[in-house]
Parts: sequence; structure tokens; C-alpha cells
Amino acid sequence: MATNSIDITELLSRVALKDRAAFKTLYERTSAKLFGVSLRILKDRAEAEEALQEIYIKIWQRADRYASGQYSPISWLVAIARNHTLDMLRARRPIGDDIDAALDTATPEPNPEAATINAGERGRIENCLDELEADRAGAVRGAYLDGYSYQELATTYDVPVNTMRTWLRRSLLKLRECLSA
Amino acid sequence: MAAAQPFETTGMFVSMSIDDTKSGDDGGDLTLAAEYVLGTLDAVAHARFAARLEGAPALRAEVAFWQSHFSQLDDGFEDVRAPAGSFKAIERRLFGAAREANGLMALWRNLALWRGLAAMGLAIAVIGVGFGVMQLGTTIPRPATQLVATLQAAGSDVRYLALYDAASAQVRLTGLSGDPAPERDFELWIIKAGDAPVSMGVVAAHTQSSVPVPEALQALFAAGNVLAISLEPKGGSPTGAPTGPIVASGPVVLI
Repeated sequence: MATNSIDITELLSRVALKDRAAFKTLYERTSAKLFGVSLRILKDRAEAEEALQEIYIKIWQRADRYASGQYSPISWLVAIARNHTLDMLRARRPIGDDIDAALDTATPEPNPEAATINAGERGRIENCLDELEADRAGAVRGAYLDGYSYQELATTYDVPVNTMRTWLRRSLLKLRECLSA
Repeated sequence: MAAAQPFETTGMFVSMSIDDTKSGDDGGDLTLAAEYVLGTLDAVAHARFAARLEGAPALRAEVAFWQSHFSQLDDGFEDVRAPAGSFKAIERRLFGAAREANGLMALWRNLALWRGLAAMGLAIAVIGVGFGVMQLGTTIPRPATQLVATLQAAGSDVRYLALYDAASAQVRLTGLSGDPAPERDFELWIIKAGDAPVSMGVVAAHTQSSVPVPEALQALFAAGNVLAISLEPKGGSPTGAPTGPIVASGPVVLI
């Protein structure tokens, strides 16, 4: 679905003024994307349907909070959908015993790969993910696109959950260096 | 490090500038912001971090940094046509044109409630024992906001059903299963993303109870916020924040 970013911004500003026709148009232009997000993360059509309604209710209530220029409007909408569906999953997941996290890497460690990144290049997430080992990058993508928990990722990659936490945290530190380069 | 400032709601969560050498229970701040955006933090860690964001512009900037970069992966989400009738349902919930005077009919129609009840195998039994549903229609003189939440958690046998009625500002709680351990009590919290959990007090197990919601907290009862039950010392948390594990939780849904 080709969505003109400027049009979506304008629709959002009208929705912020409680324009119901604009809200309907916004829905028609963006619901396939947001339903796709909900379905991928929740993996259950009925739940995704329920979530989609709650997501658009939030969009209606929060349209005035979108500040053009901070994120693209589609990114902002996708973030609402992701966060809502993750809230749903989070409420069902057990509280982890992360007390051993102090043993994980808590401070930035020297990144030998940073030396190979051209300091003048502006890092982008895809390029930076490619700098990671394949399964580390896969875990980051799995968390973002599928909403997988540490436990689910640990099962997928057949490692203990504490190992997966360490993998992910170290990978995020490397990504941060790469993206800031 | 900036001076710690007490938080308005509970006074227990403080905002600080980013400390990238912090090694505590949650790991470094640099990765915490990324984990927060990714969504890999558990309910308590997520709520704690969200609470820190208030009045912490450096931390919020870190979150914005990660969100704007991870958003570049959004093309990975494929379009799927939304179910027919979804928009009508959205309009009905927002603008409530056909909101019935008898709250009971609106409750019967709520998909989330039925799915939740069915999951607990209680669809018939709950109606049969005259759970608060029956009283709704007679006490509400005009349409009012009603919210429902099913509280549960994987690995926990604690299950509650909560029904919030804005007109009476009461949360009707039904403890469906689960007992607190000896010398422990269940405490109810309402959690809004970005704020610290707010206590609604100790709640009884295995029975129906009604918790009045003070005016200052009524705005927190809104779709998308989370109701949670934690296991606390007898009499409730001594600190004003959850000190024990969350044994049941669920998002609040508008009927």
C-alpha cells in the first residue's frame, strides 16, 4: 500500500481536531499495515482484531501528540500498534528473575568491530545488523518484528535464557556504537 | 548525576540522568532503553523504566534514538487487510452511538469478555452465580463508561475478573482462583505506561469485592492501562510500590 507521508501527517492533524471523516480515511490508508503488525506479533487473528480496535482508539485519543518531524507518521502509528500488542503479551508473560543481570555486561565493552566502521558513515540499522553474527541479528529482528521474549528466543536458538539476555544486551551495545558512528 | 526528584504518584520512583556505568538488577541504561523499545523487559521492569522516563529528557532521547532506528525495520511488517466491520466496531466504541441504557446488553456483546470467560471455562457459571453483571442495568440511569479486565499470568493459578463502572467509580473484583501464600496478601495495582504502578489496596481472595476508586485515580481507569495483582507482605506493600512478584495482570478493555 503506497501511503503518502505528507497526506498521513495531514490526516493525523485533522484527527487531532476530532475530524471523524479524516479518521476514517486514516483507517482506510493504514489499517492493513497495523493489522499486519498486530497479527505478526499476536499470532492470533481474533486477538489481533481486538487489538486493532484498541490501537485505533489510542490513535484517536493521541493524534494530537504526533509532532511532525520527530518520526515519520507511519513509524509513529506502527509504534503505537507494536507497543499495544507487546503490552498485551507482557501482561501474560511471567516476571523474569533477572537478578543475575548484574553478572551480565552492564557497562559498554570495547568493540573491536568499531574500528572497521568508517567514522564518517552514518550507520543504518540494516547495515549495523549485518555487522553482527547472523543469529544475534536474527534475535534482534525476532524481538522487534515478532515480539519474541527472551525465553522464546532462547528456545529458538537453543541456549539458556541468561545467555540470550547477554547476547542481546551485547548486540545492542554494538548496534549503538555502529548507529552512532 | 542530576539530583533525584521524587515522583508525584508514589514517591518511590526517582528520575536520574543516564548512568551508563550503572550495573544493577536491570543492566546498563544504554541497553535498557533499547530493550524497552524492543519490548523484551518483563512487566515490572517495563513499568519501572517507563516511570523513570518522566522528567528524564536524556533517557527519553535515548528511547527516541532507538525507536527511530528500529522503525527502519518496519517494512518487515506485511500488510494484511483488516477484518470487515472492524472500523464500525471502533466507531461504536469511541462514539457510542448505540450504547444501550441496559449495561448488561453491552456486556454480552463484548468479545474480549466472552473470550476471557470462555478461557476460564466459566462462561455459564459466572452468569449463574449472579456475578455483578446482573446489577449493572438497574443501577445505571444513563450510559456510562464500563471497562473490564481479565487478570492472569502464565505459571500462576491466580485469576481475577475486574469490572470498572465509571458511574459508581467502583472496581468490582471477583477472585476466581488462587490464594496468597501464608502471611501474604494480594495487592491490586493500576499501571499506566509511563507512570509508576498505583496501589488500589489489598484485595480479598476467592470472593467478590468492590473497591472504590478515588477521584484522583479515576482517569487511570482507561483502555490500554494494566491492572495487576502482586504478592505482598500481610497488609500490603510497605513501600508504596510492588515488592513481590506479579501473579496476575491484564489490560483494561473498554466495553
